[in-house]
Amino acid sequence: MTSVLKDKYAIVGIGYTPQGRVPGRTSLSFHLEASANAIADAGLQKRDVDGFICYRHFPAASDENDLTPSRIAQHLGISPTYIYQDAN
Amino acid sequence: MATMLTAFSGDDAVFGHFGATGGYALAARRAMYEFGTGPETWKKIAVGQRKWANLNPQARMYTKPMTEADYDNAKWVVEPFRLPDNCLITDGGRAIIVTSVERARDLKQPPAVIMGMGQQHPSTEVAQSTWMAGPTGAEKAGAMALSMAGVTLDDVDACQIYDCFTYTVEITLQDYGFFRPGEGRDWLEGGTIEPGGRTPVNTSGGLLSEAYFMGLTPISEGAMQIMGRCGQRQLGPVTHTKRPEIILCSDNGGVLQSHSCILLRRL
Repeated sequence: MTSVLKDKYAIVGIGYTPQGRVPGRTSLSFHLEASANAIADAGLQKRDVDGFICYRHFPAASDENDLTPSRIAQHLGISPTYIYQDAN
Repeated sequence: MATMLTAFSGDDAVFGHFGATGGYALAARRAMYEFGTGPETWKKIAVGQRKWANLNPQARMYTKPMTEADYDNAKWVVEPFRLPDNCLITDGGRAIIVTSVERARDLKQPPAVIMGMGQQHPSTEVAQSTWMAGPTGAEKAGAMALSMAGVTLDDVDACQIYDCFTYTVEITLQDYGFFRPGEGRDWLEGGTIEPGGRTPVNTSGGLLSEAYFMGLTPISEGAMQIMGRCGQRQLGPVTHTKRPEIILCSDNGGVLQSHSCILLRRL
């Protein structure tokens, strides 16, 4: 199978956050911290990010707004030309 | 909580069937009947992955070794699954950055190149599964990813498998073709997936023993291993394993309804 995807793209940064039992944090804050850390890990600036994909669309904690890629991008301070989110 | 119940389980919750563990337990029960798997196989996955977690300071189970006897003595959650057959519940987040290989060459980290990918989604819900004991979407998704990459399973140096339950690791590796149905227990014998093993699996500890970030746990660990940034759990001389050229990562959704496979390599 020939593919336009083979060997064309690469993972270049990973963003971690504190993990385990971490009380007092919102779901949004973890999205933002993981994203900011991934951008820094790659040695990029947030203005370099032109696409933003959220993984599965699970319900946020009950006292939080729904977490969509556009909401997270806004809080991150980026304006991606492409956003996407999986259904759960 | 009520929303989670009705959204994910519908009327089933009225009859006491809710949550992921029940669904996977049903699938695992069927697999026990179909090809003779069971806790003796899953124990090797739970204990093997824990050994990796014991090398990973950020893993939830870093300081908690687990023996086969610990597994045998663990409480049932939903039979046939004991507590160590279940993944963790984790606060936190995980993100990855993807860009072109061309641009990646000039960035800070050594890139983990995406050489192949495949997806297959055999059913939309577990009640409509044709084959509850597999083959799952892993069979076709894996073949698709290997075909795109132009490699075979023999070229895969390690795997990061979505491991919501121990059984998920078995059925996924089986459907990729690492072993024939029911031969997982023999294949796992002798520490195959552990530090020093010939096919390391879930080297961060995975969802079972590191942290639960859905598919981001396996794919981020695959990339970190390719980048060579894994410290005392790094594949290669440190863990008496092969330095990885190619790592296979998987993700899986529903109760084995959807499947993704991705192959990463060094540049």
